[in-house]
Amino acid sequence: MLAAYLAIPFFLVVAAGIGLFALAAGFVLGPRRPDPRKAAPYECGFEAFEDAHMPFDVRYYLVAILFILFDLEITFLFPWAVSLNHIGTAGLLAMVAFLLVLTIGFIYEWRKGALEWE
Amino acid sequence: MLPALPFYLASAFLIGASLGVVGSRNPVYAALFLVLAFVSAAVLWLLAGAEFLAMALVVVYVGAVMVLFLFVVMMIDVRLAVLHRSFVRYLPLGVLVAVAMMVQIIAALRGLAQGAGHAFPEGGNTEALGTLIYTRFLYPFEIAGLILLLAIVAAIALTLRRREGTRHQDPGRQVLVRKQDRLRLWRLPPHQASGEQLPASAQREDT
Amino acid sequence: MTMALSGQYMTNGLLAAGVLLLKVLAVIMPITVVVAYLTYVERKVIGYMQRRIGPHRVGYRGLLQPFADVFKLLLKEVLVPASANRFLFLTAPFLALVPALATWAVVPFWRGAALANVDAGLLYVLAMTSMTVYGIILAGWSSNSKYALLGAMRSAAQMVAYEIAMGFALVGVIMASNSLNLDRIVVAQAGGLHHWYIWPLLPLAVVYFICGVAETNRAPFDVAEGESEIVAGFHVEYSGAGFALFFLAEYANMILISALVSIFFVGGWLSPFEGLVPILGKPGLHWLALKMAFFLFCFLWFRATFPRYRYDQIMRLGWKVFIPLTLLWIGLECVWKAVGFGPWF
Repeated sequence: MLAAYLAIPFFLVVAAGIGLFALAAGFVLGPRRPDPRKAAPYECGFEAFEDAHMPFDVRYYLVAILFILFDLEITFLFPWAVSLNHIGTAGLLAMVAFLLVLTIGFIYEWRKGALEWE
Repeated sequence: MLPALPFYLASAFLIGASLGVVGSRNPVYAALFLVLAFVSAAVLWLLAGAEFLAMALVVVYVGAVMVLFLFVVMMIDVRLAVLHRSFVRYLPLGVLVAVAMMVQIIAALRGLAQGAGHAFPEGGNTEALGTLIYTRFLYPFEIAGLILLLAIVAAIALTLRRREGTRHQDPGRQVLVRKQDRLRLWRLPPHQASGEQLPASAQREDT
Repeated sequence: MTMALSGQYMTNGLLAAGVLLLKVLAVIMPITVVVAYLTYVERKVIGYMQRRIGPHRVGYRGLLQPFADVFKLLLKEVLVPASANRFLFLTAPFLALVPALATWAVVPFWRGAALANVDAGLLYVLAMTSMTVYGIILAGWSSNSKYALLGAMRSAAQMVAYEIAMGFALVGVIMASNSLNLDRIVVAQAGGLHHWYIWPLLPLAVVYFICGVAETNRAPFDVAEGESEIVAGFHVEYSGAGFALFFLAEYANMILISALVSIFFVGGWLSPFEGLVPILGKPGLHWLALKMAFFLFCFLWFRATFPRYRYDQIMRLGWKVFIPLTLLWIGLECVWKAVGFGPWF
């Protein structure tokens, strides 16, 4: 089984190698004429007047949290869908119940306006 | 020796990355080291034959949990010196927790030591795992569903804040709008172009 | 004696590694060439759709244009903004590129031709897709520029929303094929045109493809780099080779999504005339390439046709339309699974 995975590290190395090659070529072939104005962050011609790392709307965190929960749901669904032929109707119904519980959660999100993006 | 090389490599990465998590001063670096630690752990699990768990670790922890961590960590403006002082202050507690966890892990592994081994069932172990979860471990599985529901409710209760005064569009209401709501027709009597005002007799025509 | 044996063992190992390396290059190199010509085709197709003729100066009918572009990008200065985090700024393009190319390890080009024909292939695809968001977030954060950070946050939240719908759509495919192995998913669709999953899973196929468009940040979901609002979004500070890598990653991802849609829903390398016409009915790489070409054309077509979505509309479509739709379809598949339905269940 593990032998099938052998190609993956090769892919990672080759992909990183291509990136390294392009970046190195850029550094070697491209000019280097540093200029404080050129190295300033782009802000449509204005001087950047503060650090760009500003706090964001909490909504982004909510989206990330909900994503984790749904991602977990999906990881539960994958082994279920694969083994559908072995687990019979009981297994099928087990997932229906699971999904119903989580649909309640989804409806709750919806009604509460957590999916609203204003 | 050679076949064990990936194991030692992944373990070295895991240990190094974990040290990086606690040692780096920049919280974004710490979060990225944690990502590396998770990936190394996934490789270790893969080497042990736990195919599904390894991939699930990457999908859930690297792909979702750490994205949230990064969202949070990227926005906070942590005073680096403060961070360093608290590192020393929490060191004894951290060591205590580490020792306690190690004792627990050793205790757990002692029970597993005999007869432990891994099997590679036909069709991959995702299928085997699924067959077990949805038949023998059905009850814990349904409880997991309820815990997830709880997490959804809790997440909304903790983070959902309605902001007052935002100007936003609601597509549902936008398409429900009809002509009468937006448009009024006025019938104006003809009048001379001598600049006179709108006569008071102008009639509103809408219905 | 033992030394000689282990020496031979080493030589064989190195030889095998060399062969594997060549195979990997044989997959990745054509992809980079296709990326180069995809940019050419994109400009031509959009040009003709807008009654222009697109690039036509470099080489015969502009056919050498991609090479000119590559050389231009490599000859430009690699700028690193003064206030940027230099290390992460240069790492971010790798984090975008590596998953985009490494996912190809599990893609079968014809029967058994995936270089890593693993049982959990689909999980691997999902794991790699979930990694692509790091390149964007880190590019946005390390640039220390407001536009870059805004673009990165927007696109991260967008990718996250569409990844869920994508995962649910894939669950629908697995329910039909009962396998996570991409090779076996295609084989399960063998038996003629009507065995393809596009028929019973049409809504899932549409959802998956649209999610793919959104995941690659392509029009009409390209708010991450909405020029009119935040200039170029997360890669606004990148120039020359760094920008080229993001570009390569985006186009490699487009090709990947086309390949995955072809494999999951329209039978991969299988012929639509299977069992009907003697020669045309043979499976092969050309069928996969043809299907991929169609989906790639759709990417370009969308870009020429649709105006950009507003951000709240994007989030609404992902959360309130696609997720309920996919959940509904999974429920429907449960019923089909219980009672049996067509050649699929």
